[in-house]
Amino acid sequence: MDYPIWDLALGGGVLIGIVAIAHVLVSHFAVGGGLAIALAETLAVRRGDRALRDLAKRSSWMLVLVSTVFGAISGVGIWVTIGLVAPAATSALIHTWVWAWATEWAFFVLEVAMALAMVATWEKVRPRTHLWLSWLYAFAAFMSLVIIQGILAFMLTPGRWIETRSFWDGFFNPSYLPGVVLRTGISLFLAGAYMTFAALREPDAAARARLVRWLAGLQVVGALVAYGGYRWWEVALPDQVRALFVGEKALLASLASTRSLALWALTAYLGLVLLAALVPRAQRWPVAAVALCASFVFFGGYERLREGSRKPFVIRDHMFSNGLMVTDIPTLNESGALARAGWAAVGQPDTLEGRGRAVFRAQCASCHTLDGYLGIRRLTTQADADMLNGILMTMKGMGEVYATAHARGERVDTTTVDYPLMPPLVGSDEEVEALATYLHSLKPAQPTEVADAR
Amino acid sequence: MPASLIPAPDATALPGPPWLFHTLWLVTFLLHLLFVNTVLGGSLLAVFAGGAGAGRLALRKLLVGMNSWAISGAITLGIAPLLFMQVLLGRFFYAATILWAWPWFAMLGVLTVGYYLNYLAKRCMKEGREPLGVLVVEAACFVCIAVVQVVIHLLHMQPERWRAAAGSGWQVLADPTFVPRVLHFVLAALGVTAAIVALWAVRWSGEPEDVRGGMARFGVRVALGAAALQVVDGLWLLLAVPREVLRAFMRGGAATMVPLTLGILLALGLVALLALVRDPLARPRLVRHALELTVAAVAVMVLTRHQLRGLYLAAARAGEQVAVQPQWGVFALFLVTFLVCVGLTIWALIRAATDRPGAGEPVA
Repeated sequence: MDYPIWDLALGGGVLIGIVAIAHVLVSHFAVGGGLAIALAETLAVRRGDRALRDLAKRSSWMLVLVSTVFGAISGVGIWVTIGLVAPAATSALIHTWVWAWATEWAFFVLEVAMALAMVATWEKVRPRTHLWLSWLYAFAAFMSLVIIQGILAFMLTPGRWIETRSFWDGFFNPSYLPGVVLRTGISLFLAGAYMTFAALREPDAAARARLVRWLAGLQVVGALVAYGGYRWWEVALPDQVRALFVGEKALLASLASTRSLALWALTAYLGLVLLAALVPRAQRWPVAAVALCASFVFFGGYERLREGSRKPFVIRDHMFSNGLMVTDIPTLNESGALARAGWAAVGQPDTLEGRGRAVFRAQCASCHTLDGYLGIRRLTTQADADMLNGILMTMKGMGEVYATAHARGERVDTTTVDYPLMPPLVGSDEEVEALATYLHSLKPAQPTEVADAR
Repeated sequence: MPASLIPAPDATALPGPPWLFHTLWLVTFLLHLLFVNTVLGGSLLAVFAGGAGAGRLALRKLLVGMNSWAISGAITLGIAPLLFMQVLLGRFFYAATILWAWPWFAMLGVLTVGYYLNYLAKRCMKEGREPLGVLVVEAACFVCIAVVQVVIHLLHMQPERWRAAAGSGWQVLADPTFVPRVLHFVLAALGVTAAIVALWAVRWSGEPEDVRGGMARFGVRVALGAAALQVVDGLWLLLAVPREVLRAFMRGGAATMVPLTLGILLALGLVALLALVRDPLARPRLVRHALELTVAAVAVMVLTRHQLRGLYLAAARAGEQVAVQPQWGVFALFLVTFLVCVGLTIWALIRAATDRPGAGEPVA
């Protein structure tokens, strides 16, 4: 709330989503690919299978070019993006998890060094040495998943951390283990899906079919593990989170649709890889591409569910999506939100409307743009001044609900408040009035008003 | 409205004492910077490799090959200092990056392009094609990133400039220290990489003598020029620093003056040493000492830079109250993991570098 604001027409959340999804699609291949390559190479050495060894070699090049280059940069990119869009949340996460991130970084150093060494030493070292490099890479990549999952899951289900502030309570939170299982499955099937393209370059038809079948088996295992992990993840979620997208009366229809789409995509994907396992000689790259897309839809759908179901929080029960902390509600209601949000007022005229725009920038702009994504002009166009005032006062009242529950050491069931997906509005009554005035001013002039003006 | 635009310190307690984060930040930043220097210097020297005469092709091959590792190293090793810095100064850093949001965000794309261009250059050379155009664009990418980094550095430690920067972020380019800082960055990069090139040529290169000689002489010449210009630029930078910061620095006693003096002496010593190297192939020890002195100078300058930042930010951080609740158990876990991972990395790389199958033995 007290940071400068980056005005983005497409919305900060969308930008984070674009960068994050691009990153996870690659980074999970880095994890699964590591395991799959090490496994393929081990089998190749034991069986003397040249085709399997060539698959491992081709895939390791893909791993370096896609994962350690794009994956590493987009990983930093997530940090860069969340720091620009949600600096308060980034700061809170860094302060809480710095040692976890540092530990993950130590594994990342090993991972990157092994990836480069693995690629550089084909045909130069003994098979046993190369296997060491491959398995060390696989181990390091998997450990980075094991650690990062703790932080990602914490944001949605912080568990007992809210009361104890203990590192381990936050890390081993309710959705941690299901997430590890789910992501492991995703990593495996993504690796299989990517590596199928490398397998299709094998010139010998019989060997190609053998590779395709082997990779299809890996993908079937991955898809089943991912499905199990997903179901477990749903069960581990608090009722109020699940209520957003599970069941016939899901609170958020778009998330419920995403869930349906994701599960259907996984089913379709499973069907395609079973087909590849049964008729490997018929496998062609367009089919592999469709299967890869289906796997992306499932994974992207899950990520959207995970991000979307955090609403209205960025760290559940601790910090709202606009950077407002639950503990700050009483103070800001007393002092006024703009007492904290200096940047929001920079460049705004000292009028009621100008102050209203400042309040909008401080509290709403992290999710709503003016005319773009979740455009506020479109959303408020039907509301007259009284209705806007009423909505905003209700949202301010939600703040009392959160503050009271916090003072009692309780958590709010977000499904019971009037706007379950929105953070409460904080600030003085004058600021609420200013915001209403500003929002009302956004409405396009009605034809009668234009005529009157003439 | 608040009187200051500086965000409040994070409400969450620091999970370790500040000195620990400062130490980790400095150590990891030095490692990161050495790789960054290699990347920037390597990409620039690859463009101007013609100066190496007979060593031109071998020099390009060395630099492009080195960069495919060094870029990865720079990114990987950049994560840790970024992390530790955000724990201590996140509120200044985030504000600065948001004020220069688009260039900061665009840096990711530029970095990706630069990295892939390096692989493209490698492929061109493998196929016997001249990759000069590719190398020029690659070098331009890394110079742009250097400029962005300097701007963010300047912005984050000068909150008094933020209000003006909110109007136009470009006005920070008018900072009197901007040009000498960029030059300092580029010259250090050239100096470090040139010293590495010279040492490689005299010690490890298996190329014919005229090729090695061309590379080594080029490396020594560039390193000498960079070191000499660095002395001048360093003085320019020192004089361009705001007066109150400079005064505080000079009054800092041994803590600030010893590293600064040492840095200047190292730079002068480097110039003298490199001037003595007429025939690098005949003086391999001097070439090795030149690289050692260069790395030492970079280390000292990292410390001086850190101290200067503290003085720039002194007024903005006056009265800062930060709670500390160390997580020693988790820190110990990090330390053990770090040591094990570094140990495994070194062991595996040595094994990969030394394990060579004999005739008739299977290969991976």
